[in-house]
Amino acid sequence: MATQTAATSMAAALAASLPAPSAAPVTTAPTYEAIPASMSKVIDIEAEIPLHTVQLDGLVATKILKHAREAPASTAHGLLLGLDLDGVLEVSNSFPLPHGGDDDDKATKSLARYQGSMLRSLREVQSDDSVVGFYQATSLGAFFNQSIIDTQAIHQDKLRHGGVVVVHDITQTARGNTSFRAFRLTASFLDAYKKSNFSSASLISHRLTFSSILEEVPLKVRANPLLSSFLGALAEPSSSPELGGGSKTSETFPPNFHVLELGATGLTRNLEQMVEAIDNYRTEEGNIAYLSRQIARERAKAENYVAKRKEENQARVAQGLAPLPEEDVTRLFKIPPEPSRLESLLLLGQIDAYAKSLGGTAGAGLVKMYGAKAGSGGV
Amino acid sequence: MTLGPPSSAINLKKASSQASSAVPRPPNNVTIHPVALFSILDHYLRRTDSQDRVIGTLLGTRTETEVEVKSAFAVLHSETSEQVAVDMEYHRTMYDLHHKVNTKEVIVGWYSTGSNLNTYSALIQNFYSQETAPHQAIHIALNTGVVEGETAGVKAYISSPVGVFPKPENCVFVPVPVELRFHEAERSGLDLLLNTATTSQPISDLELIETSIQNVSSMLDRVLTYVRAVLAGEKKGDPAIGRYLMDTLGASTEDLERGSFNTSLQDTLMLSYLANLVRAQAEVSARLALIS
Repeated sequence: MATQTAATSMAAALAASLPAPSAAPVTTAPTYEAIPASMSKVIDIEAEIPLHTVQLDGLVATKILKHAREAPASTAHGLLLGLDLDGVLEVSNSFPLPHGGDDDDKATKSLARYQGSMLRSLREVQSDDSVVGFYQATSLGAFFNQSIIDTQAIHQDKLRHGGVVVVHDITQTARGNTSFRAFRLTASFLDAYKKSNFSSASLISHRLTFSSILEEVPLKVRANPLLSSFLGALAEPSSSPELGGGSKTSETFPPNFHVLELGATGLTRNLEQMVEAIDNYRTEEGNIAYLSRQIARERAKAENYVAKRKEENQARVAQGLAPLPEEDVTRLFKIPPEPSRLESLLLLGQIDAYAKSLGGTAGAGLVKMYGAKAGSGGV
Repeated sequence: MTLGPPSSAINLKKASSQASSAVPRPPNNVTIHPVALFSILDHYLRRTDSQDRVIGTLLGTRTETEVEVKSAFAVLHSETSEQVAVDMEYHRTMYDLHHKVNTKEVIVGWYSTGSNLNTYSALIQNFYSQETAPHQAIHIALNTGVVEGETAGVKAYISSPVGVFPKPENCVFVPVPVELRFHEAERSGLDLLLNTATTSQPISDLELIETSIQNVSSMLDRVLTYVRAVLAGEKKGDPAIGRYLMDTLGASTEDLERGSFNTSLQDTLMLSYLANLVRAQAEVSARLALIS
């Protein structure tokens, strides 16, 4: 038995013993197996079958949970890897992206390097290495912001099926209801985004409100059979002979009754966030109103000028003189471009999300309070 | 809270005199986060046909006496009857990549699937000990339970050299107790995986409350049958259980009956109205933008 004793020589031994795993894809003339008839309907090379469900693997769900909890505030984001099959996008792996503080060129480059090298490494151990979207942690359900839209717009252009964004709500999770939701941009929003035209006219023609920016894709969380059976074995009920059979408590996964907590925590923060969003919206509206007034003023000036020139010309024609040339008014008066409404649209979406989560919490709180009162016997 | 099947192995602890100042004390407890476990299982699913077991690196944090395994990544390796090889370069690259995102996590050891420890395990352990020096590397052996007759479970080991002249291929794997540990907030995520194979998202709050209440109610039923049986003299009462019951059920509900219930009810109702009002306003505002 010629065992390698020195650990440092292991890498060298690997080169000799392994048939160069990175070179494997280059094998000459791959033999294609005929696609069995049962599968021919579900395999689409051209990505023609539209996505109808996103399926999140248990591994990905826990990875996102962990990353979202450990990252400061709601900055956790990462890439989702997987495959689509018959309209179901199976997300089988994910990896977190480093949090780039400043958005300069260098950070972008190092991010791209990181991404490429991570994907290469994952491929070597037979993981899925095709990017199918990204995930983003958020708090209180308000995930509308510029960067998420920008990233998704790029993805929707580049990726097969356009990719999805999976949003994970930290606040909901802390309350005991883990929430993952999958979204993609709607066609009309994408159209407006590509023209980078968010003037009122464009909003009207695309019928855009905050609720029509993103469309939700149904999402399922799936544990693969091995994971299920393993968890099942771990959670095997420790039979407590004292309390009789049917005991479902397990020591590995102690039961948790966070959901039944009466005091609705975080409501104040939710309110604060909502007020802040409304303030931001008001500022934004003020800006837009100011810009609109400016545009109106400039336009009025230009029109005045044109009218005056016409009058003058009529007078000159009446006097038998040659009319003055009609100058290009756009050169004389700079009419500012119409302000983009995207920011205020997103802010409205944020306000709506905050209000929705506030309403949800308050509603559940009411149910619990009445329940507790009924339970305590005093009505 | 042991994860593995009960074992008759003895937990040896080094005498404190041996733990000299130069060598940090070996950990006497290992905790493992679900992410690490799931990564290992996923790696096992994706192994090639020729691989019997898969190995990888464990990342985590360590304190004086405890090692917390927080994540894991797969590492290429090959085993033949003659030799074992681990792709060190791959291991380095992956570690650097992980380190970029999470600077707190360091290499704490390695995992393998299956529960047989052999010469190769000792060699790999020796390699990882150099990576984690001066701390000891831990080894997690995860049995996936797919082989008939073996139960799924996790075991953790540390190694100590054996023999008059210590050689890397010889070592004693000393079992260490291992626990599954996760944050309270992550519990609900695990519930999703525990209950059924596939769950649709999102779940409404009310559904969750309903299941929780049903859970509590079934627990109360069980306790009630037990108490009745004790009262009827069919079973011998356990004083410990009795004390727990008194502590749990003796909680007073007086606060509810005083005025505070109504005030906080009003607060909650107010919040609910406010939230609806704001949503309506936001919707109106968005629509108004479309007609101007």
